Amino acid sequence: MADIVTILINGTVISSLYALVAIGFTMIFGVGGTINLAHGGIITVGAFSAYYVTNAGLGIWAGVLAAMAVPALFSVLLYKGFAERRDDIIIVMILTLLASIVVEEVVRIVEGSQPKAIPALVSGTTELLGSSVQNNLLVVFVVSWLLIGGLFAFVNYSKTGKAILATSMSPRGAALVGIESDRINLYTWAIAGLLAGIAGLFLGSYQTANWAMGREPLILSFSIVVLGGLGSIRGSLVAAYVIGFLEVITTSAIDPRLSGLAGLVVLVVVLLVRPEGLFGRELAEA
Amino acid sequence: MADEPLSAEPAETDTDRSLVGSMLAPRYLLGVLGVVAFAAVPFVGISTTQLLVLIGALYFGMFAMSWDVVSGYTGEISFGHALFFAVGGYTSTLLNLELGLSPSLSIPVGVALAALAGVLIGVPALRIRGPYLSLITLVAPLILLQVFIIYGDVFGGELGLSSPAALVTADEFDLVVTANYYIALGLFLAILLLLFAVTRSNIGSVLTAIREDEDAVAAAGLNVAKFKVFAFVLSAAIGGLAGAMFVHTPVGSPRPSQLLALIVSIEVLIAATLGGMGTIVGAGLGGVFFYFVNDLLNQQEFTIPFVNVGLNEASLLLFALLTMVLIYVLPQGVFPSAIRAGRRLLGRARGNPVATDGGHESGGATSPIEQAADRYRRALEEFEERIGDDEK
Repeated sequence: MADIVTILINGTVISSLYALVAIGFTMIFGVGGTINLAHGGIITVGAFSAYYVTNAGLGIWAGVLAAMAVPALFSVLLYKGFAERRDDIIIVMILTLLASIVVEEVVRIVEGSQPKAIPALVSGTTELLGSSVQNNLLVVFVVSWLLIGGLFAFVNYSKTGKAILATSMSPRGAALVGIESDRINLYTWAIAGLLAGIAGLFLGSYQTANWAMGREPLILSFSIVVLGGLGSIRGSLVAAYVIGFLEVITTSAIDPRLSGLAGLVVLVVVLLVRPEGLFGRELAEA
Repeated sequence: MADEPLSAEPAETDTDRSLVGSMLAPRYLLGVLGVVAFAAVPFVGISTTQLLVLIGALYFGMFAMSWDVVSGYTGEISFGHALFFAVGGYTSTLLNLELGLSPSLSIPVGVALAALAGVLIGVPALRIRGPYLSLITLVAPLILLQVFIIYGDVFGGELGLSSPAALVTADEFDLVVTANYYIALGLFLAILLLLFAVTRSNIGSVLTAIREDEDAVAAAGLNVAKFKVFAFVLSAAIGGLAGAMFVHTPVGSPRPSQLLALIVSIEVLIAATLGGMGTIVGAGLGGVFFYFVNDLLNQQEFTIPFVNVGLNEASLLLFALLTMVLIYVLPQGVFPSAIRAGRRLLGRARGNPVATDGGHESGGATSPIEQAADRYRRALEEFEERIGDDEK
């Protein structure tokens, strides 16, 4: 019983982290049509920004701010440098892949390959369904959902958010009514960077931070966005939970060595059977 | 480079045809000089260690050429080519270690299995295109690596297997290394000639045409599927051959870090992009250069001033940065640009005005990278249309 509760709790927490990563990835694709292979690198940037700020004695909550601001800025720089005037998706893919290598290598050279611990946001544990859960995990879960909820509200109710939605539905239509696609893309990359950065901090405090920590979430977010439908925010949210739970169930109930495999298999099957994913592209031009 | 392919016209997309005739001689003369130089390497006082590195570099060059057949020619960018390299290498190792098969038998089986893997990746390539196919190629070797880790007792997991039988045995190690070097060089040249013959033939023109406009090729009555699968199988078989031979040399060993890790797939992409995509020679030389220089950097004791980081630590970082810069400065890669620059210089020396303006290389979607990008854009548009249809 406790096992099932542990699976439920871990699955719920890790899935909301995956959702943070995947939503940013899918938004960049939906709005700009580019695949950002540096998304995993942004996670690493987030985790290490928090690590440095916290180690400088500014406290973990200053670390949280850093894990949002620095990755957002980094993401904007990636957009400005690699994606802005380039609508050739393959060059953007190669350049962002190289950028993620640069991030990984810089961290590996500066920090070495030993994992670094990022302090928990809050300490203590809470009894939940007969199983004791770290309060830190609860905070991770709640903050993730606050961010996701905030994003939904922003996209659906603010003027800028609506412009983002419009651009992803129809770049041409959006341009016709005077929405500047460059500015919208910039916002999208900033938001994606912020979400991935905070996910990096959470991953670092949930597990540990190291130079290659962005790889697995990046690959899992491929599975998630392909399963959910490239470009669909709602789809990625649902798929994040499907993939997250599959991952937790296979690793904790079947064999820990299967880590990462479930998501990969789902990805290949979906690409072969239904490449448009569960939710198609809900925002696509009909 | 020997005689046969010399008569074929080079299939560079924007070659000024009127110049081809007069320019054949110098560039192929350089090729012959290059081969002679490579053949002379063991006699110019190079250390055994460096010769060993060169052996590895030649196999990596073959691997880079195999990447170029698919990615440079048909424009389906593969992010996971290490899959084929690993299938060849691991198959040959396992057959040799477990069943005692001699390399002369285990290597061909490795090639056959790698070709089969090429079919497995090539057939989905007929249904899904562009970025989606790249995702599949990126993920396939990761799955294989997971399988290797799960069945660690058979595949050796992250640490890999012990080395299989050597290709050449002799009492003197120097002799073994020299023999291995010439085997590698011979194979490198054979693969270069084969791929030259294929890519400079009608097949090559069709593959290039597929990169430029797949639908037009189909409209012309050609079976695009057949050509695509052919390119994947040819590429996989050659990658598998390089991998299978490599593990039997003193430098290569059946380990994920040498054959399968994500980084191997990325290194081959870097190497081929540096040398020049869609040219075979450029990719091959890019591979040799990358492996050799990378190893050279890894051996350095030198510390980069100010940041206080050893050069040996930073080699991959430097290559990643170099490739980024190169994509902006010379999107076609070093090799084709060098040829073009040479042609311009020669043209000027001969007072041939055509050469100077005929040398303008980057206008329009002419470089393989740009053509691949074009294809990706079209695949995406098509994909969106399909989904749009579904929703109606």
